[in-house]
Amino acid sequence: MKKSLSIIFLLIIFSIQIYNVIAIQRFPKPEFESGHTQPPTLTPSPRAQALDILDVFVLAAALSIVSWLVIKKRSRKGVFWMSVFAVLYFGIFREGCVCSVGSLQNVTLALFNPEYSIPLTVIAFFILPLVYTLFFGRTFCAGVCPLGTLQDIFALRPMSIKSWLEKVLGVIPFIYLGLAVLYAATGTDFIVCRYDPFVGFFRFEGTFMMFIIGGLLLLIGVFIARPYCRFLCPYGALLNLVSRFSRKHITITPAECINCKLCEDSCPFEAINKPVVLKDKEEKPIASRRFIFISVIIPLLVLIGGFTASQFHENLAIVNPKVRLAKELINNTNYGEPNEEAFEITAFKSAGQSKEELYKEAAEITNQFYIGGWILGGFLGLVFGFTLLSLSVFRYREDYTPNKGTCISCARCVDYCPVLPEDRSL
Amino acid sequence: MKNNKKLFKINTKLWNGIAITSAIFSFILCILIIANFLQINRLDPINTEIINNLVERLSQNPNDEALRLEIREIDLLARKAYFTNQWQIRTGGYLLLIGVIIFIIAIQMINSAKNISPEIGEKDENNLFLQKTARKWISIGGAGIVVIALLFAFLTHNKLGETFTNAAIAENKLNNEDVPEETNTAQAQTEAAIVETTEIDATEKEEITETETIEKEKEVIQSTIADYPTTEMKANFPSFRGAGGNGVAYQKNIPTNWNGATNENILWKAAIPLHGYNSPVIWGNKLFISGANATSKQVFCYGRNTGKLLWTANVDNVTGSPATAPAVTNDTGHSAPTVTTDGKKVFAIFSTGDIIALDMTGKRVWAKNLGVPQNHYGYSSSLYVYEDKLIVQYDHRSASKVMALSVNSGDVVWSTNRKGKISWASPIIVNTGNRVEILLVTDPFVASYDANTGAELWRLDCLYGEVGPSLTYADGIVFATNEYASLVAIKLGETPVKLWEQFDYLSDVPSPVATDKYLFLATSYGVVICHDAKTGAVLWEKEFDNGFYSSPILVEDKIYLIDVQGIMHIFKADKEYVSLGEPKLGEKVVSTPAFANGRVYIRADKNLYCIGK
Repeated sequence: MKKSLSIIFLLIIFSIQIYNVIAIQRFPKPEFESGHTQPPTLTPSPRAQALDILDVFVLAAALSIVSWLVIKKRSRKGVFWMSVFAVLYFGIFREGCVCSVGSLQNVTLALFNPEYSIPLTVIAFFILPLVYTLFFGRTFCAGVCPLGTLQDIFALRPMSIKSWLEKVLGVIPFIYLGLAVLYAATGTDFIVCRYDPFVGFFRFEGTFMMFIIGGLLLLIGVFIARPYCRFLCPYGALLNLVSRFSRKHITITPAECINCKLCEDSCPFEAINKPVVLKDKEEKPIASRRFIFISVIIPLLVLIGGFTASQFHENLAIVNPKVRLAKELINNTNYGEPNEEAFEITAFKSAGQSKEELYKEAAEITNQFYIGGWILGGFLGLVFGFTLLSLSVFRYREDYTPNKGTCISCARCVDYCPVLPEDRSL
Repeated sequence: MKNNKKLFKINTKLWNGIAITSAIFSFILCILIIANFLQINRLDPINTEIINNLVERLSQNPNDEALRLEIREIDLLARKAYFTNQWQIRTGGYLLLIGVIIFIIAIQMINSAKNISPEIGEKDENNLFLQKTARKWISIGGAGIVVIALLFAFLTHNKLGETFTNAAIAENKLNNEDVPEETNTAQAQTEAAIVETTEIDATEKEEITETETIEKEKEVIQSTIADYPTTEMKANFPSFRGAGGNGVAYQKNIPTNWNGATNENILWKAAIPLHGYNSPVIWGNKLFISGANATSKQVFCYGRNTGKLLWTANVDNVTGSPATAPAVTNDTGHSAPTVTTDGKKVFAIFSTGDIIALDMTGKRVWAKNLGVPQNHYGYSSSLYVYEDKLIVQYDHRSASKVMALSVNSGDVVWSTNRKGKISWASPIIVNTGNRVEILLVTDPFVASYDANTGAELWRLDCLYGEVGPSLTYADGIVFATNEYASLVAIKLGETPVKLWEQFDYLSDVPSPVATDKYLFLATSYGVVICHDAKTGAVLWEKEFDNGFYSSPILVEDKIYLIDVQGIMHIFKADKEYVSLGEPKLGEKVVSTPAFANGRVYIRADKNLYCIGK
C-alpha cells in the first residue's frame, strides 16, 4: 500500500514538472544592447496543458466525492470540507478561471463563431457539472463551485426570506443567462466573467469596485445565504432546469418522512417543499381557467418579450466595442474625452481597418442584436410564462422534500432529520 | 436528531472573544484600506502640479542643473509615496483576509459547539397565498421590465443600424472620389501652368473677378504641392537619400565602372578632416558634409568639381550647448545625421542637440541647442527642408517630437509631440498626390504629419524594437522595416491600411527603396531582396560577401548599393537580378552616396571620392 502511494505521489510530482517544460516561452525574450531588462509580466501566464488536464480530473473527482458525500454519506461536514477544498483549489490555485459558470459563454461563442477554437478542458468544465446534476442533483453547487462554496462558508447567520420573493427573484438568473448568451454569441463580451464578483479574492488582485461588490455580496451572504447563486448565477439557472430531472437527488430523510417539522426552517435557501394539504387546493374551475389562460398567453408573452427586446436592441448593442467605436466616430464625441484623443480611437487608427469596414461591421452587429433581441425577449417571455404556469399548479405533497430545482444539495437539512436509515423497516 | 460526538470541548467564550476581536480588526482594516484607496486614487505620481510647474520652468531654462535635481528628488518622493500607499493597500488586504478567515473559523467553531435547535413554527404559510403573491409580483416585475425597456428604447432610438449603413456608404463614396480628385488635381496643375505662362493683358486683368483670383491662388498652391520635390531639388541632391529622403536620384549618365586602386574614373579624392557617418549632399557646384568628435563639430564645403575644401565652419559657442558631449557608441558617433540644404543655407545637427544654419559661404546665420537628445547610441536622424521649414525628427527617450524650424531664424514654426520611443531613422517627405506628408517611423508606429502644420494625419502601429532604417514610398505605398520586427507595406488612403507584411529578411541599418512595382531591401548581413511592391512576394534574393550599412539609391532604372568594403553593386531595378557592375573603391564605406549628372560622390572612411568620366 505504502509503495503504491509513493508511486502515485512521485507520478504527481513528475506531472507537475511537465508544467515547466511546456511553459517555455515560444519566442525567446530579446536581449537589449542598452542593458534594458524585461520586467516580469503582471498577468498570470496561461495554464500549462498538463495542469489543465489535471484540473478536469480534479473536477471529476470532486464532483464524485461530493455526490457520494451527499447521496450516500449524507454528511454536511464532508460537504463543508469539500467547499473549503473547492475555494482553495478551483478558486485560489486555479485563480477562478475557467470556471463552469463562465464556460457557458465559451460554449456559446464556439457555437456561434466557427473561428473560435474552444479548449476541450473548457467543454469538460461546462459539461461535467451538468451530467452530474442530471444524476445526483446540484452537487456541483454544493461543494465544487468556488463561487458558491465561498459564499457558503460566509453563510453564518442565514435568515429566511419570503417564499414568494424567492420565486420572484429566481427569475433574475434566467435574464442574466439570456444576456450572457446574447453577448457571447455576438462576440461582444463575457459579461459573467467581467462582472464576476469573487475572482478578485481568488487572485488577490482586481479593481476596487470588484472587491467592494464582492465584499458586499459576502456581507449580504452572512444573512441571506448564497445571494449570487440564488439570484444571479446564470449557470445555476441551467443547473436548476437540469436538476429537476435528476435521477438520484438528495432526500431530507433517509427513510419515511414522519412530518416532525424539524427540518422546516433548516434550509437557508428556501429550497424545501413543505407538505401541501388538500384544503389549500383552489376551486377547480378557477384554477383550470387560470391555467388555460396562462397557457394561452405564453405565446403572447414570447411575442411581447421578443418585440420589447428587439426594440431595445440598440441599447444592448452599444455595449459592443465596435458598435460603440463606430458611434463615437460618427458623432465625433471622442468617448467624452475633452483633452486628448481617446485611446480606443488611437488604437483603431493604428490597427489599419478602414472606417467603411468598421461601419459595415457595426451595422452587421447591430442587426445581430436585433435578431438576438427577438430570441432573448422570446426566451424571457417563455421563462415568465412557465414560471406563472408553475405557480398555478396545485401539487399535493405529504412529505418534506427538497425542491429539486433550487436545492443545491448542501446537506444541511439532513442533520435536522431524526429519522435514521435503520428506521426504514418501521 | 443526531448528536455529534465532540472529540474535544469547544471553549465558546474564547471563540466568542476571537470572533469579536477579529471582526473589529477586520472592520478597522477595511475602513483604512478604503481611505487609503481613495487617497491613492487622487494622486498621479507622474503628473503632480508641483512637478509639472518645475518641469515647465526647466523647459524654459534647460541648463538649470539645481532645478533638474530638485525635480528628480520631488519625483522620487512622489513615486515612493505612491508605491508605499500601494504596499499598504496590498499588505492591508492580506491582513484583512487573515482577519476574516479567523472570524469565519471562530464563528464556525461557535456554531459547531451549538446543538442544532430546530424551530418548529406554526407559521402555516398558505400555499395559495404564496402562489398568488408570487404570480402578482412576477407579473408586475415582467410588465415593469417591458414598460421600462420600451420607454428607454423609444427615448434612445436613433436608428443605429441605418446610421452605420449610411456612414459605410458615405465612406465608400469618399474613398471612390479620391481617384477623380487626383485627376482634377492633375488638370488643375495643367491649368495652373497654362495660367502662369499665359500673358494676360491689362484689360483682361481688370476683368478677373475676385473668385477667379481665389481659384488661381488655389491652383498655385496645388501646383506647389505637385512640385514637391521641386525641380531645383531634383536637379541637386539636397539631403540624405536625395530629395525628400526617398532614396531616388533624378540624375542621369551615372558611371557603372571605376576602380579605386587604379584611380580609373576617380575624378578626385579629398581627405575628410573630421570623422562622421553622415552622407554627402550636393547643391550646385558645392558638396557638404559634417564631422564631429566629443570636443569639436564642423561643417565642410567642397567644390563639387575640384574636390577643393572651400570652407570649414566650426559649430561652437552655441547657446545651451552642453559642456561635455553625451556618450555615444563608436558606430554612431557625434555626427551621424546628414546635413541638408535649400540652396541658400546649409543646416547641420549633432549628437549634442546643437543645430546650425550657415549660408553658402559658411557664415553662421543662426544656431541653437534643442536640448541634449537622450539616446544611448547617439542621435542620428537627418535633416530635411520643406519650403521655408527645417524638419527635425527629435525622438529621444524623455520627449519624442517632430518639429519645423524657420530656415531663416531657427524659431519653432510648429512642434508635434510623439508617443513613440527613440528612433534612429530619418524622416521622408513625400507628395501623396493631394498633400505633402512627413512620414516618420519609430517603435511602435509609422506616422504621417502635415508638412505645413505638423498635425498628425494618421498613425499605424506596426513595428517595434530599436528602429534604424527609414521609410520609403512609391505609388501610394509606404514601406517600413526593422530587424526582429517585420517588413510592412502600408497602403495610403483616408485611413491607411496594412497591405502586406513579411518577416523573412529584415534590415537593421539600410533603408529600403521602391519603384512602382518593386521594393529593394538590403541587410547588414549581406542579403539583398526584391519584393513585389503590391503583394510582398519575394521575387529574388541574393547574398553578397559583405554586409550593407549604406542605403540603396534608385537612379534611372538602376539600383546603386555600396557595401561596407566599398564595392558598389549596380543592378537593374527589375524582377530579376541582373548585375550591371561591381566597381571597387578600395576603402570602407557606411555612408550613402550622392549623385550629380554623370557623377557619384562617396564618403568613405577617411576620404571623399568623386567618380565620373
